[in-house]
Amino acid sequence: MSKANTSNIKNKTFEEVEFGEDLPSIDADISLSNVTRFAKAAEMMAPRFIDHNEARKAGLPSAIVPGIMSQGILVSLIHAWAPNAEVLNVDTIFRALVLVDSKATASGVVTDIDNDTKIIEIDLMIKNDKGETPVVGTAKIRL
Amino acid sequence: MTAAELKAEFTGYIFDEIDLDIESDSLVGFATAVGETLPKFIDPAHSDFQGVPNYLTRIHGSRALPKDFPVEMARCFDAGKSIEFHAAVRPGDKIQGKSEIADIFEKTGRSGTMLFIVHRMNFYNQDEKHLATVDWRLVQREFDA
Repeated sequence: MSKANTSNIKNKTFEEVEFGEDLPSIDADISLSNVTRFAKAAEMMAPRFIDHNEARKAGLPSAIVPGIMSQGILVSLIHAWAPNAEVLNVDTIFRALVLVDSKATASGVVTDIDNDTKIIEIDLMIKNDKGETPVVGTAKIRL
Repeated sequence: MTAAELKAEFTGYIFDEIDLDIESDSLVGFATAVGETLPKFIDPAHSDFQGVPNYLTRIHGSRALPKDFPVEMARCFDAGKSIEFHAAVRPGDKIQGKSEIADIFEKTGRSGTMLFIVHRMNFYNQDEKHLATVDWRLVQREFDA
């Protein structure tokens, strides 16, 4: 599992959020065992997600993380920052592969605060250990 | 066919419908693996237990593209997904997913022309409550109309 822990984090109010605020980053658990756990729950037990050798046979560098798992990790990042966040939408772009058993850091930054609608927009990303961003996204939330 | 011709022919109708029962184990497994620690997502005994907001993105229809759509799935890659979240998904829900092609367009860049296909699924529960809209962007490289 990722290292996010919401047990000691307080709810946020709309007024507490600042434009440009960074969400505390989390190191996502994309180990083979955890990705396999995800694949089982999501009924996505394709070899390219859960077996390095089979993935290589298919021409991939190794097993890969399902895109929607990366998306879920980014949503959990929001909840780790603001447990009371109501996520209205999330849009993720899969720019490159996220490899199983690699290092992946999820982070986000507040990019818009609408005082009329009370909707907050957050830019999201997952970085790998080469400093590349294979997954980027945006979310709109309400507190 | 051009992208405009494909759009004219294949958008604007439901081409697939699926039904699915939602189970607690799947909700918990999905939430736990992505790192959620909020009890409402990982504890089935919680009074507000529900799926994480993007849970329904895991559901695909029985087919990704309409019958006779002139693009091979094998030539496409997954460019991204968005979800518009309307209401919580709960264990025991009987979900219906309805698929349509929401948009088709092309973009041309240094690597050539790419065809973008937006596969939209709308999800409803047993009370016909609209739970979510999921847009799945498929891209075919080297599109030659």
